[in-house]
Amino acid sequence: MRKLINAPESMVDEMLQGIYAAHPDQVRYVSGDLRCLVSAHVKKGKVGIATGGGSGHLPLFLGYVGEGMLDGCCVGGVFQSPSAMQMLEVTKAIDSGAGVLYIYGNYGGDVMNFDMAAEMAGAEGIRVEQVLGAEDVASAPKGNEGKRRGVAGIFYMYKIAGALAAEMVALEQVKSVAQTVAANVRTMGVALSACTIPEAGKPTFEIEEEKMEIGMGIHGEPGVRKGPLVAADRIVDEMLESILPDLPYQRGDEVSVLINGLGATPKEELYVFFRRVAESLSKSGIHIYHPYIGEFATSMEMAGASISLLKLDAELKRLLDSPANTPFFVQR
Amino acid sequence: MKALLTIEDIKLIFIRCSEIMNKNRQALLDLDAACGDGDLGLTMTKGFAAAAAAARNYSGNDAGKLFLAAGMAIAGSAPSTMGTLIASGFMRVGKEAAGREAMATVDCAAMMISFLDGIMARGKSKPGDKTIIDSLMPAAETLRQGENKPLAEAWADALEAAEQGVERARGMRAVHGRAAYYGDASIGKDDAGARVGMLIVKAFAEYVA
Repeated sequence: MRKLINAPESMVDEMLQGIYAAHPDQVRYVSGDLRCLVSAHVKKGKVGIATGGGSGHLPLFLGYVGEGMLDGCCVGGVFQSPSAMQMLEVTKAIDSGAGVLYIYGNYGGDVMNFDMAAEMAGAEGIRVEQVLGAEDVASAPKGNEGKRRGVAGIFYMYKIAGALAAEMVALEQVKSVAQTVAANVRTMGVALSACTIPEAGKPTFEIEEEKMEIGMGIHGEPGVRKGPLVAADRIVDEMLESILPDLPYQRGDEVSVLINGLGATPKEELYVFFRRVAESLSKSGIHIYHPYIGEFATSMEMAGASISLLKLDAELKRLLDSPANTPFFVQR
Repeated sequence: MKALLTIEDIKLIFIRCSEIMNKNRQALLDLDAACGDGDLGLTMTKGFAAAAAAARNYSGNDAGKLFLAAGMAIAGSAPSTMGTLIASGFMRVGKEAAGREAMATVDCAAMMISFLDGIMARGKSKPGDKTIIDSLMPAAETLRQGENKPLAEAWADALEAAEQGVERARGMRAVHGRAAYYGDASIGKDDAGARVGMLIVKAFAEYVA
């Protein structure tokens, strides 16, 4: 294991101390718990949006807490769900009477803890609704969408639901737009190398030199196909062959494209990927509206990338374009 | 031989359970590494250590509140899937057993059924899915059938049923959590959750023996 850390077990809390030291005007923590992170600008009467999940995915999840996006985030250990109590504390801190929407990825531990937190919050008189990100087409076949994992596409849910919430609309409307995004986004990834949980000290799985795994999850969940590493264009083509028919994305559609690096893949390679996506979508008569290229949901030092497509309409375009200002995402 | 579990007894059972999890730490780690994310031994020892501490610190005389405190302690210290499921189970017991000061066999049967209900409601799973339910449900049913037996005998039968449940779960195909990604390859492998369920039953059975 080669990491720039002190003791493995203190990595998450030391990372958080760094976050608070770097962004004191944007985020703070509540209940004396570094892992209960809230925006420094919780607006009275606005629907609160909370997320949460394991560490090891920055900018996910906490990186999107701030103006125009999220209000709170519970931080777990590396690849571990935070607890329901921590979620409850964040919920209480960000509720200002209009209720709270949970947006998080579809993973067993997270679902159970958010469910439990929602029940506890309900018992304290806070209205809570939930929308799950579950858009990884490689993780379960069409027809079984409820079993799919949530990956980088959740960024779009944060961005668009956050933008609408900032317009001071009701909880039901914010939930509804988050559901619309969830229904119109699809992602697929490819991994070229493994990642190491600091406390484990060695990679949880292995990908041999010169090999790749298409469809692998952001915690190393098995993908759909292992094979020799081929040219980037061929990988993009194979991924789009799974993504496009799944919604389906059709001629005349307008989409935002998100090319996400998994942690160890340089931006140069992401742009090589995007070049082929743009070429291919143009051939299919699908227009790209607003591409995002960079790191949005990583898996520590994993090499690889994912492609997400979001089908847009006029309302989604407007909300996607609205400004946001968070520690990891700024748009003017 | 005991005819009733008092609040003091229940506290000692949580402490026993924590000891049992410590003893089985490595076995659970190995089992979970085979088809999960390999941290079950850590979360269970952490979770039950917290439950034992919460039980030790409980000074009231309400079994419901004691179970609730233990459940909350597990939820706060072991927010993994299994930790949250078990926490949900104990919190449900906490609701159902509210106000009770002692438990006979018939109350233990009711407790196990609430425990199971809490887990099933949270995990949305059913018997045969290769989970903790596959050891807990046979134990709960055995306790209910033996609700007129003395504690020691009823719990010994329940432990046997739970152990058989672990055996049967081995032949099942996983449909939940990470183990489900392995599909048919999960058949023939021991289920770590079913084993945890059996270990909880074991804590009661050993204590009342």
